[in-house]
Amino acid sequence: MRPLSRPARLEGPVKVRTTAREATPRLRLLGVLGAVAIVASACGAKASPAPSGAAVSAAPSVAEATPAATPSGPLVLKVASSAGITTWDPIKSFSTEALYLANMYEPLLWVNPPSASEKFTPAIATSWESSADGMSWTFKIREGVKFHDGEAVTADAVKQSIEAAKDHGGASFIWAPLDTITATDPLTVTMKLKYAAPMDLVAASLYGAWIVSPKALAASAADATYFEKGIDAGTGPYMMESFTPDKEVLMKTFDGYWGATAGTTHYDKVLVSMTPEPVTQQQMLDGGEVDLALNLPTENIASYKTNPNFAFIEEPSFFNYVGYFNVNKKPLDDVRVRQALSLALSYDDIVTIGAQGYGTQSHGPVPAGVFPYSADVPQYHQDLAKAQELLTAAGVQPGLKLEMTYTSSNQNEVRFAPLIKEAYAKLGIDVTLTPMTFDLQWERAKSEDLAKRQDMFLVLYWPTYSDAGSDNLWSLFHSSEKPFFNLSYWKNAEYDKLVDEAGTKTATDREAAQAEYVKAMDLLVDQAPGLFFYDTKFVTAIPTYLQGFQYNLNYPFAAFFYPMHPAN
Amino acid sequence: MKRFLLNRFAGALIVLLGVSIITFTLARLIPSNPAALYIGPRARPDDIERVSRQLGLDQPLPVQYLVYMRDMLTGDWGTSIGTKRPVLDEILNRLPSTLELIFAAMLIAIPVGIALGVLSARWRGRPPDIGVRLVSIVGVSLPAFFLALLLQVFFFRNLHLLPLAGRTSSDLRFTNPLESITGFNLIDSAITGNWVALGDTTYHLILPAIALAAYPLGLIARMTRSTMLETLDQDYIRTARAFGLRSALIDYRLALRNAILPVLTVIGLTFGYLLTGSFFVEIVFNWPGLGTFAVHSIVSVDYPAIMGIALLGAIGYVVINLIVDMVQAWLDPRVRLT
Repeated sequence: MRPLSRPARLEGPVKVRTTAREATPRLRLLGVLGAVAIVASACGAKASPAPSGAAVSAAPSVAEATPAATPSGPLVLKVASSAGITTWDPIKSFSTEALYLANMYEPLLWVNPPSASEKFTPAIATSWESSADGMSWTFKIREGVKFHDGEAVTADAVKQSIEAAKDHGGASFIWAPLDTITATDPLTVTMKLKYAAPMDLVAASLYGAWIVSPKALAASAADATYFEKGIDAGTGPYMMESFTPDKEVLMKTFDGYWGATAGTTHYDKVLVSMTPEPVTQQQMLDGGEVDLALNLPTENIASYKTNPNFAFIEEPSFFNYVGYFNVNKKPLDDVRVRQALSLALSYDDIVTIGAQGYGTQSHGPVPAGVFPYSADVPQYHQDLAKAQELLTAAGVQPGLKLEMTYTSSNQNEVRFAPLIKEAYAKLGIDVTLTPMTFDLQWERAKSEDLAKRQDMFLVLYWPTYSDAGSDNLWSLFHSSEKPFFNLSYWKNAEYDKLVDEAGTKTATDREAAQAEYVKAMDLLVDQAPGLFFYDTKFVTAIPTYLQGFQYNLNYPFAAFFYPMHPAN
Repeated sequence: MKRFLLNRFAGALIVLLGVSIITFTLARLIPSNPAALYIGPRARPDDIERVSRQLGLDQPLPVQYLVYMRDMLTGDWGTSIGTKRPVLDEILNRLPSTLELIFAAMLIAIPVGIALGVLSARWRGRPPDIGVRLVSIVGVSLPAFFLALLLQVFFFRNLHLLPLAGRTSSDLRFTNPLESITGFNLIDSAITGNWVALGDTTYHLILPAIALAAYPLGLIARMTRSTMLETLDQDYIRTARAFGLRSALIDYRLALRNAILPVLTVIGLTFGYLLTGSFFVEIVFNWPGLGTFAVHSIVSVDYPAIMGIALLGAIGYVVINLIVDMVQAWLDPRVRLT
């Protein structure tokens, strides 16, 4: 072909027909071959069997009700959870990392679920007793227990752990009654208290009660980031093998665990994938990618009730929803108004919509199953006529405006807050709903400028340990000069006296304490400084091939992996 | 050329300084208390005060900014409030994961986008052109996270063909553990000859890469079509056709080479966009990259992490733009004169 010369001037556009078939065929073939190679290697990766010695238990498809035959090699439990980690320090821990820590650490004793025949299960302590006046508690430490770093558990180790928790723990306040703790002998600690308190319940707390190796405590004192490297120093059945922030935590069994029993099967390893999205967790469970999903979406969970491959779990939980009225603002300072607003709500609808049916209307601020809950504490039921009467008697005219804050990330509150607005609208009360992040909501509620504080405040609450008398009843409604949790700002001397007296009796006469607390709750419901919406339920679905799952409402963020095992 | 580069570099520094000031100010303007978030819902006032002091939040804002910039220039990008580890370490640990996803997406978007753009231009006004334009519009308009969810439902839930989430199968660490050398799983598995891991990684990369590729693919296709149409109308192209040169030669050797320059700019800018555009895709696919870290940092108002990620994004944009400018200048001498 002769070289192109300068083209002649052309008249008008020249259309030249082109066809796709003129595209280079070689490039296309290369592309196709490349794609085939990649897909083939991917399929090969899927199909290749696990080499011996490193086999894992296969998560079966949902259609199969039994797990695949377990080859030799570690038995791995795969879990999906949204539980994040704010710290690996067991002393400072006060958040959802309890899921992991509850398997790597142990307290002196565990509180059992309400249905159990025994109230407690011994852990690091084998026995305990208190003096008649509840001012002195003695715990006998189990002999032969070792920490994961090889140190022996002694009374001195227990003393150091508790002193550290009291000094700078995330939940240090639970040790407020403690005056001194002494190692009276190598396997005995004695706690002397400033006032009588149920130290058995305190010592069984999910936060601030882990027994930690003194070697690790010393290292942590020297280096505040010691534990953040992923070091664990507990006595629990599992140890940390590795963790990747925001991705996964891998735990392995502790060979020297004191509670190991011959002949029982346990998972050798637990791999927890941090999966923030509940729907993704559901898909992972349905697709067999995990054996256990701890945060299934509430709106989809009913489908598992009729699925023969799953056991549907529905249990009372530690959590309940409470609302506060700002009793310092007119007309909420009038008890008739607060009672009217309590009568205006349809609690059944709130449970159905807010909790998607997984809840029960509260009897006061103590959730069902937790001391000092009582079903005798009265409830409000919707009665709009009576509510209107009360409002009229209190001189409240239609057109009253109230502002209610709630946590924007809490889906339950997002669902039922509009029901409150709608109910109050029937009484001519206009409620402005203000969703906020929880830190801003709390900051505003504690503002020094009283005018900035909200009229109503919704909160999800749970006690730090299994005494909702000293926690819920005290924290939420006991008078305080500067509000901490009492965000109704309510001050009632009679209520304070009842709660204080009940608190001193809890250690020595639990029944008498219960009776005092019930009187306090009766007064609380009558005076209505708050709304008591519902106690939530814990719901989940467990594949039938997975046995040993035990929910304990006293440990709301924890799942105990050691008792779990495949069905066969 | 030297003066051109110096000008660009000086401009880049000014941009980075501006980004640091704006991001720092905006982060501090968020009406939230990171100390309270750090402790959790049970934060007591004295604990908040203690943690605020510990995190340096009690200092005046200009002091906080100067301290931050001084430390950053010496390699200390602060400590993440959320993870308690150095921000730079967190970013560098996660960056390969995100870059691998971005490279995979661009590997899909660039050749497919250019090919579709050329096809569309060649078949202007005909069904292939209409089809490509529809695909482009959908790719550009459909939010990446929504496309990601659709892909999951279709390919995982319905067809059981591709995995739901994650970078590798959870079993892989037990059956064929992958040794991390560069942090890029594809490269590490190739280097170590771990073909099972290579396949598994590729398998997990497909859906998130497609979800992320949709926007740049649509954009590149549109831009290529547009520039090709302009170029194909040029006299020299007409002349080449008149001389009977093959269409493929004309389109790919003559026209595309001239039409590609603006497309290169778009590709460069798209790459920068994907650094932050990958966030939602990573969340949907539980991809352990910068995106998940960024979202968690924003939700928990983790100032040092937010600053670090924002600055990294800015650096990425600036560097990519610089590279694009240099490539353009190399390809087209006229650019050097401007």
